[in-house]
Amino acid sequence: MKRIRVACIALFAGLLMFSGVAFAHHGTANYDTTKMVAVKGPVTDFQFINPHVLIALDVKDESGKVVKWQGELTSPNRLTRVGWTKSSIKFGDVITISGYPAKSGSPEIWIQKVVLAGGEELATGGGN
Amino acid sequence: MRNRLKNLVLAGVAVLAFSSGLRAQMAQQSEAAKKQTAPVPAHDLSGVWNRYSIPAQKEYINSTYTKEEPAMTPWAKAKYDATKPSNGPRSNPLKQTDDPVLSKCLPPGTPRIYLQPFPVQFVQTPKEVIILFEYDHTVRHIYLDGRPHPADVLPSYMGHSIGKWEGDTLVADTTGFNDKTWLDRDGHQHSDELHVVERFRRVDRDHMRIDITMEDPKALAKPWITQLYFQLKPDWDLMELACTDNAAFEDFEK
Repeated sequence: MKRIRVACIALFAGLLMFSGVAFAHHGTANYDTTKMVAVKGPVTDFQFINPHVLIALDVKDESGKVVKWQGELTSPNRLTRVGWTKSSIKFGDVITISGYPAKSGSPEIWIQKVVLAGGEELATGGGN
Repeated sequence: MRNRLKNLVLAGVAVLAFSSGLRAQMAQQSEAAKKQTAPVPAHDLSGVWNRYSIPAQKEYINSTYTKEEPAMTPWAKAKYDATKPSNGPRSNPLKQTDDPVLSKCLPPGTPRIYLQPFPVQFVQTPKEVIILFEYDHTVRHIYLDGRPHPADVLPSYMGHSIGKWEGDTLVADTTGFNDKTWLDRDGHQHSDELHVVERFRRVDRDHMRIDITMEDPKALAKPWITQLYFQLKPDWDLMELACTDNAAFEDFEK
């Protein structure tokens, strides 16, 4: 896991930047909100569904091994109201997702930020 | 002489700077005043509204109503201590929570439904105010036709509501609850003796405040009082959000 290219960002900056993005459905016990990670890779799954929008990426570690990362966002209803559609992300798009990692060490992220291949950032909060 | 001239010039610059700042401030104020003085439809709450939090509420309003714990009876405190909420300070993983909304898809109840972070739509007829909640197609009816609560009311999740206008405020009185729901997402408890009074008031055209008082002789040692704030969203429509879809998500977090 350590060999995966994961960028750790300080808690403080993370909290300052992202503290407005909350789950609509359940709590945050699954995630370590004192850490931030960012991973980049092609999209292998994008489900614009309730209660949480899900994204999966194939992320290469330094040895070239592919690890499947998955991330969850808030509800499609809330994301629709800040401009998302079910086609906002397409399979194969190379995107960067960043957010809080799972406490268990599983390759999972509570997504706080999505940056598309062209550098465009999609809003992940608001809509509420 | 030179100093006096310098002082005069400085004073002039200061006045100019002050007056341009003042003009900008006045323009802002007049814009705000215009918004605040926009006509407020009388006795009309219809439209799509979305709850927002005022700064003092931000740290708790996602899961409960006040920063301070409510005054719980020993019965309610024991039940509360045994709960495993998903949200709030005692957060548990989704697979372990016993929150009835998350583990059984039960309707959230009144007033907890307002804590679900989704918009609501008010529809008015001469007979009733209907509140449509985006969350899981939930509906409340607040009857305005003067009827009392039924003497033998059938207990329900959302309760039986009757209302009347007092000046610019709709006052709704709700009883007839079952005891299957929690008061909030933190696990605070109520019994079937819960009594909720809501005072809905449009503070201006685009903002509504609901003052809520919860009383329950079995669960609350004194009334629990809160205020919730809503903004009109003229461009929004309610969407679908079905609780049954949550089941597919339970295996996501590992």
